[in-house]
Amino acid sequence: MPNLDPLPSAEEPEDALAAVVALRHMADQLERKAVKEAIAQGWSWSQVAEALGVSKQAAHKRHALHIKSAKGAKKG
Amino acid sequence: MFNRIRLRLRDMRTVSKLIAGADKQACLLGEERPGAEHFVLSALNLEDGTARRAFERLGADSGKFQEAVEKQYSEALSHIGIDPPSLDIQPEPLAISKTFQESQASGQDLMKKLFDLKQKDKQHPLLGAHVLCAVADMQHGVVSRAFKVMGIKPEQLIRSAREEIHGNPP
Repeated sequence: MPNLDPLPSAEEPEDALAAVVALRHMADQLERKAVKEAIAQGWSWSQVAEALGVSKQAAHKRHALHIKSAKGAKKG
Repeated sequence: MFNRIRLRLRDMRTVSKLIAGADKQACLLGEERPGAEHFVLSALNLEDGTARRAFERLGADSGKFQEAVEKQYSEALSHIGIDPPSLDIQPEPLAISKTFQESQASGQDLMKKLFDLKQKDKQHPLLGAHVLCAVADMQHGVVSRAFKVMGIKPEQLIRSAREEIHGNPP
């Protein structure tokens, strides 16, 4: 876990909010990469959903199309 | 009357291209829904060329905008002690959907501002420069921080974009 010290002060909301947006952006990329890897390793959508703490439908809706198209692109 | 209808039809086509372009940019950069930054990238690709020239008028390279977006993310992470290059999380392009995606809030705000702006300007066709005027009015967020990275002041960009708009006959 990276050292999060020093966090931007609450008196500097511009920096603090920018950090929040950047963290969300990074988390999205990490989630996508991790789900793709999990499915490639044979995880089921139920397992992925459980690990992410979301419903199976939500996990599938968010990632399935992109994983399918990435697989298609690799085959092609 | 006929010119007004012609202008409106042209604007509708431009809006369609702008949204489709923003969707495409978002997918290429690994994001599901387009935000204001993707609309800026889309505006820079519009055929009228006014958005690109508005940057040039300021001595800025519009081709560096995407880099500036990435840099503002890494700078924000650096502020909290995270070194993005060491994490090796590069965005991967997503499949481009055939249907328009709902925009992020910043994209929706931008489109609303663009609509308001265009309501006031019925003399000119909708141009990439209008998108810059609308986005430069947003004081916070990814685009505002990316402009800061590029050393662009919003008021200068608005002035430059307006010059491009007025240089374009109806």
